[in-house]
Amino acid sequence: MDVNRRDALKALFGGSAFAAIASTAVPVAKASEKAVEPEVDAVGLLYDATKCIGCRACMPACQNANGLKPDTGGSGGLYQQPDTLNSHTKNLIKLYVADDGHERSFIKQQCMHCVDPACVSGCPMKALHKEGLGVVAWTSYLCIGCRYCQVACPFNIPKFEWDKVNPKIVKCELCDHLVGKAQAEPACTKVCPTHAVVYGKRTDLLAEAHRRIKAQPGFYFEDRVYGEFEAGGTQCLVLSHVDFTKVGLPKLDKESAPAQVRKVNDFIYQGFLTPLVVYGGVAAIMRGRWKGHLSEHEHQEHEQTGAEGKKV
Amino acid sequence: MTAHWEKCIRLKEPLLTKPFLLFAGLAALSFLLALYRELTGLGYVTGLNDGYSWGLFKNWNVTTLTALGSGGYAVAVFAWIFNVRQFHKVLRTAVLTSLVGYGTGMLALGIDVGRPWNFIWIANPLTWNQHSVLLEVAVCMTAYFMLALDVENMPPFLERMYRSGDPKKKEWAMKIFNFMHKTFPFGIALAFILPSMHQASLGQLMYLAGSRVHPLWQTALLPLLYLLMAYILGFSCVLLVLMLSSLTWDLGWDQEILGRLAVIMSSMVALWTVVRFVDIGRRGALGLILTFDRYSLVFLAETLLLLVPALLMLLKPIRTRPSVLFQLCLLVAIGGSLYRFTPTTLAFFPLGNYRYFPSVAEILMSVGFTSLGVAVFLYAVKKYAILPASASKVAAETALQPFDTL
Repeated sequence: MDVNRRDALKALFGGSAFAAIASTAVPVAKASEKAVEPEVDAVGLLYDATKCIGCRACMPACQNANGLKPDTGGSGGLYQQPDTLNSHTKNLIKLYVADDGHERSFIKQQCMHCVDPACVSGCPMKALHKEGLGVVAWTSYLCIGCRYCQVACPFNIPKFEWDKVNPKIVKCELCDHLVGKAQAEPACTKVCPTHAVVYGKRTDLLAEAHRRIKAQPGFYFEDRVYGEFEAGGTQCLVLSHVDFTKVGLPKLDKESAPAQVRKVNDFIYQGFLTPLVVYGGVAAIMRGRWKGHLSEHEHQEHEQTGAEGKKV
Repeated sequence: MTAHWEKCIRLKEPLLTKPFLLFAGLAALSFLLALYRELTGLGYVTGLNDGYSWGLFKNWNVTTLTALGSGGYAVAVFAWIFNVRQFHKVLRTAVLTSLVGYGTGMLALGIDVGRPWNFIWIANPLTWNQHSVLLEVAVCMTAYFMLALDVENMPPFLERMYRSGDPKKKEWAMKIFNFMHKTFPFGIALAFILPSMHQASLGQLMYLAGSRVHPLWQTALLPLLYLLMAYILGFSCVLLVLMLSSLTWDLGWDQEILGRLAVIMSSMVALWTVVRFVDIGRRGALGLILTFDRYSLVFLAETLLLLVPALLMLLKPIRTRPSVLFQLCLLVAIGGSLYRFTPTTLAFFPLGNYRYFPSVAEILMSVGFTSLGVAVFLYAVKKYAILPASASKVAAETALQPFDTL
């Protein structure tokens, strides 16, 4: 017993020595970026539900621009009528009607292009990543199809091709294959007849949204812009005259989930110092234990004379 | 009639029994279905959808089964680090449950991911997203399986090689054995740190889902709660396997070891419950426990299934009754598994009208992968010296173990 305790103490000192070496060898990771700031040239959309007439012109425009097959399931094959975003619908206009039938609003659903996106934070191999202008884009060759992005996204945006052998993750990428090349803006904003959805720099869009709120105080819900702070800020912003949660925009913390995860991770890992120190400590304890184990074993074998159990 | 387990023995039983054939058959069926899934797509064989994109494969076969398969980690921590010498007798059984738990879990993960061919990029750290908790799980689990679990399960295999009669094989077995002897402490330390990291990260996975997980489960302490639960479930699985084996093959009932395992497990359940309730209280969510909606009922089921048996097992007159001990351990295993399953499924808000219930094929595959683990276990205990047995049995079966230091 006494021997064991001494071993354990020795081991602990061994462990702390290891820790000292490790702490000099491993540069402690930079204090984590607590909150991610939007890029200066970040772009996005401003959707004003009060201007939307529900013509849905943006939906076929999106299908055409992205080469997606129209989802005609809801209409018996007659015209495009998806009931949710899905693996061939990146953009959807939905109608909310209150139970009393009076309060109603359209809402445009597409990727919000978060400033600090949960999908990007969770993606194991940077298949989902922030591109130039802050667009959240997907790269096929790095995606393993784990669908963690679908679990992580607070807006439930990324969709998966469940019926394919080579499935892709499908979501709005702000027409990044066209903007700045074939055209100046995404397909949905280009065709919108009432400018209910407009494309631009996030800072400009925010200023415009606040200008509208100021011009008509009390008109918009809580006189605020959805996406200014939600989930650490999104690049797609929404103005609405009805409660955001009623049109499917969830109540979210100002601090993004990825920032919260980074905080916990930094606390646990201390820039990978913790695992190294623990490893060193356990290895040191184990060396003592192993010696004791072997000598005890030898002792036992001496007692059991004969037999084939000879030390090998 | 309690006995003392002396040494590990190889069961001299026929391999092709009815239960073995059943488990092997279920495993074979799951492989056929997996082949069909690879040729068509996930949507054709599973009930998964865009709202519930993680289902039985990830939440049972990976998250829960690796927790049940944490016995090799949990028991080794107590055997080596806390120096509970008796536990060395059941360590081979424990690391085997880990091998089959993790092995079949990772197999299911390979079937579940949509684009498995891109896994090759995991070999290139430049493509890694260091912030990704899932990456940490993937890398750590693979490393644990390949560097630690395989090695921990090697001694019985080496013994067989040693006694095969072929001098060349014997020489190789000796070489590997000597190498293991030299590196053993460092290997065990690896077998400690890797599961500690990825079992905690499995909890951290759902922290990123933020408001999509019900507040009774969503907490910054998910890593700690998941890690503790890995210990609890690991112990429960080892206990159940030992008790079942002992009854099936008449290996004797070492109440001292079983009781000690049960006491450690029960104490950890108590600790886990305290941590959980303090955390919920600190977050001001205690009121949600007694709303008796779906979530509150699941929460109460988890708590009662874990806590009541644990407290009962802490009483000596109760845990010394074999059938009662078995039933209580089973309840803990069920309660713990339910907890591991809940945040990803039962307490997950999909946003929108999504429903998930596993399809028949999905259930068959999930059960089949689990059965594969059972079949491998049955094969291993009849080929190698793994299960502990009482003195009379050891003498009768000539427990020759040249490598029993490991």
